Amino acid sequence: MGDKSSDLVQGTLDMLVLKTLALEPMHGYGITVRIEQMSKGVSHVNPGSLFLAIQRLERDGLIKGEWKASENNRRAKCYVLTEKGRKRLNSETREWGRQAAAIERILEAS
Amino acid sequence: MSLLRNLASGIRSLFRKEQVDRELDEELRGYEEMAAAEKMKQGMNRQEALRAVRLERGSVELSKEVVRSGGWEFLVETCWRDVRFAIRTLLKSPGFTAAVVLTLALGIGANTAIFTLIDAVMLKPLPVPKPAQLYRLGDNNRCCVFTGTQQDGGSFVLYSYQLYESLRDHTPEFSEVAAFTPWTADLSVRRGASAGEPYKGEYVSGNYFNTLGVLAFAGRLLAPSDDSAGAARVAVMNYHTWQRRFGLDPSVIGATLYINGAPCVIAGVTPPGFYGDTLRSDPPDFWMPLAADPEGWRLPNPGVEWLYLVGRLKSGLAAEPVQARLNVELQDWLNNHKEVIPERDRKEIPQQHVHLTPAIHGVEILQTDYETGLQLLVTLSALLLLIACANIANLLLARGSANRSQTAVRLALGAPRGRLIRQMLTESVVLALAGGAAGLYVAYTGTRAILLLAFRGANFIPIDARPSLPVLSFSVLLSLITGIVFGILPAWTASKSDPLEALRGVGRSTGDRSPILQKSLVIAQVAFSIVLLIGAGLVTQSLRNLEDQHFGFVTEGRLIVNIEPGLSGYTPEKLPALYQRLGEKMPRIPGILSASLSWYSPLSGSNSNERVLIQGKVPDYRFTAPSWDRVGPHYFETIGTRLLRGRVISERDKPGAPNVAVVNETFASRFFPNEDPIGQHFGMDTGHSGDYEIVGIAEDAKYQDTRGPAHATYFLPLLQTPPGESFRGWVGAIELHVAGRPENIEPAVRKTVASVDPNLTILHMMSFGEQVARNFNQERLIARLTELFGALALILACVGLYGVTAYAVARRTNEIGIRMALGADRGNVLGLVLRAALAQVGLGLAIGIPAALPGGLLLAHELYGVKSYDPMIFGFAAVILAGCAFLAASVPARRATRVDPIVALRYE
Repeated sequence: MGDKSSDLVQGTLDMLVLKTLALEPMHGYGITVRIEQMSKGVSHVNPGSLFLAIQRLERDGLIKGEWKASENNRRAKCYVLTEKGRKRLNSETREWGRQAAAIERILEAS
Repeated sequence: MSLLRNLASGIRSLFRKEQVDRELDEELRGYEEMAAAEKMKQGMNRQEALRAVRLERGSVELSKEVVRSGGWEFLVETCWRDVRFAIRTLLKSPGFTAAVVLTLALGIGANTAIFTLIDAVMLKPLPVPKPAQLYRLGDNNRCCVFTGTQQDGGSFVLYSYQLYESLRDHTPEFSEVAAFTPWTADLSVRRGASAGEPYKGEYVSGNYFNTLGVLAFAGRLLAPSDDSAGAARVAVMNYHTWQRRFGLDPSVIGATLYINGAPCVIAGVTPPGFYGDTLRSDPPDFWMPLAADPEGWRLPNPGVEWLYLVGRLKSGLAAEPVQARLNVELQDWLNNHKEVIPERDRKEIPQQHVHLTPAIHGVEILQTDYETGLQLLVTLSALLLLIACANIANLLLARGSANRSQTAVRLALGAPRGRLIRQMLTESVVLALAGGAAGLYVAYTGTRAILLLAFRGANFIPIDARPSLPVLSFSVLLSLITGIVFGILPAWTASKSDPLEALRGVGRSTGDRSPILQKSLVIAQVAFSIVLLIGAGLVTQSLRNLEDQHFGFVTEGRLIVNIEPGLSGYTPEKLPALYQRLGEKMPRIPGILSASLSWYSPLSGSNSNERVLIQGKVPDYRFTAPSWDRVGPHYFETIGTRLLRGRVISERDKPGAPNVAVVNETFASRFFPNEDPIGQHFGMDTGHSGDYEIVGIAEDAKYQDTRGPAHATYFLPLLQTPPGESFRGWVGAIELHVAGRPENIEPAVRKTVASVDPNLTILHMMSFGEQVARNFNQERLIARLTELFGALALILACVGLYGVTAYAVARRTNEIGIRMALGADRGNVLGLVLRAALAQVGLGLAIGIPAALPGGLLLAHELYGVKSYDPMIFGFAAVILAGCAFLAASVPARRATRVDPIVALRYE
């Protein structure tokens, strides 16, 4: 779907998923836990929005899913960042920094 | 790449839905399990942990719904589901669905058919390269052979060959100028020793195909070198003829066919779809050079005007300066050829001019003939479409209101408004598309039917009945717009309804409160319908008056056989023997009461005028020249024209016997207002005013124009040619008076004609009634279509009224029950419902009848023997409409009287 979502939260979730997977391949629940841990409980991730984001990223070829056996002997789909996904994460991070700085400047100016 | 992957993934979830669903399910359940395991580590039991996870993160099903709604395939799927749901609901109310689809099919079908015709007849250019460069030298369709200055203010249309050559050679702005005969000629064509068969031909200048820019499909087309007196005779064949009559046989090209008895090489075939310079039924089968014109006296005579001209302007040139130049050339030529203009007309030379008109559509004979007819049809079909749309709007509105409580329940159960509107819209679009598809079928058959009606008796009509792409998109668009516009309205009102109110039963009503919009639609339908019905009545009465008028001859039991002995190699000296044998053999066919020969028969499309000089009187040029015909013995009794005085032409009026003539009443009263015409003499040329002695007066009969009075006409014996007159004793028609149906005798007639001369080609044979009927093709087309449209409008209006009344009754069931419980009898209830329905009809009539008056005035010049405000027809139409409306309304009204008060009070 669209490369740039105007929906900040959605776009942010995509970026957070990419960032999480940049550290190591992980399954859906793992991603949730990691994001919630890293944000120290500020972000709450619903499985609905998470898997929607995963479906979107997978369709864009930014991540790749693979069925693997998990710790408790269940099959779980494990997601890996692709090369394209890594590039996208870098560019998005830069863009995010630029925008956040801009917003901060505006807020401090007033 | 990513778009492709996205598409592939979407398609996978569409078509391998179950597997994708299973995977998602497994993933989500795993997620839930892991989250629960986390909670269990903190001491919860499994049950509690799962519950906590679901509270915190939502259920698996909810998550699935969220994920699914994310892809584009979701939209496709819901739309598809909507469509399936719409089809299911529509099939559940087959009456409603059939009414809407049928209404749409008729409305769209009629319009598509008419626009297909307009596109084919009025808009499609000639199938030749760059047709916009073609210009015609002339602006009307006068036909066929004239002399002197031209009528209608001197606008030149017909040209002599010599004038054509002069204009062609002195107008460099034209890359080519072609000349051709305005008519198609009957041909007798045979291959080898077989019998001659009738075909159509056109004589054209050698550069005709170069001018049009047409290239040969096979062989070669005509070249200027073919169009000279000494050239070997060649002809070009129409592709359609090659296909239909010669089975695309390649050996025909280059072969010798006998055309009118003379050998002629087929040089080539025109491309498919080419029909010549004029769109007409039965276009030429063969094109031949002007030099091969069988009436050889026309070509070398600069005084005979008999050719139409079309030129191709060099690219980038404007028409106006060329026209000015042509005017100068024309007048110069006329001044230099004073011998072609009679002394008394020479003062008119400065008014003679050429009007250069675009010939992108070729010679516009059909276009001019059918212009008014098609305009009328466009108006009618637009009216019909309006009525159809009103009907559909009404049906959809009624349905929307009837479904109100259902909608309310759905809203109360949490269906989003947008979703509901979309569902209803889908329903309307499905309906509209079904109607549009059915409409296309109606359009195709309708166009064919109209063509058959319009060209009764034609063997081939070079008009495609298939709707063209623009017409097709037009009708699809039309159906979509109708569906969307009339789908949105009820969807919108329904979705705005307050669920609470609807569920409480506000839908029930007292008093006739069916929405004002629906009532106005019915009123409008009635008004449109009465206008159409009155129009149908007027044109039908006019056609009946035309067909049943006293023509001055009798069509019943008469058969007309058309021949042309010249095509089979006859020369004037062989004709007396032929006429004698035909005169002996034809009456002996069993079932024949009498037989005769003539040059042409009444209302066959042929006519000839020639001035007469009455012996002892000064020439009078005030009147148009009287018509004349040559007839054999028994002619008047065979066609049923009464002799008023004197005698008819008989066997004794042979060459050498005293020259005689029979005249009609109009001739007698015009030229001999105060004298006895019998015994008087007249002639056709100066110095010959004593040639013919009038021996009889026949009743007036219409030979040319069915609407105006009969022309002054004189009848001469077949073979009498006074000294100094050229021979013109060719016969073109055999008239037969038959006991029983004239068609039954056709095989015997063919056999007899073949026994007289196997080479004598019968060009066509039809009953006199059919020959006369073909004069009314356009009137009949308009009458039948107006009747059809009127009937459809009537049906649609009745359906509309029925729908609105039935809906009102359904809504008022409760009220009616109360009234009946309180003592109202059936009559009261019937009156209650009918009064409301008939009030709408009355209002519609009150609007429609005055509107029909100016409408009738527009028709007035097309009507024959009927006033545009004929009170009988107006009254009759109103009575029919009111009667049908009464029937339509009485069905639901009767249902209202059968309401059981107990049931009604419990209703809802």
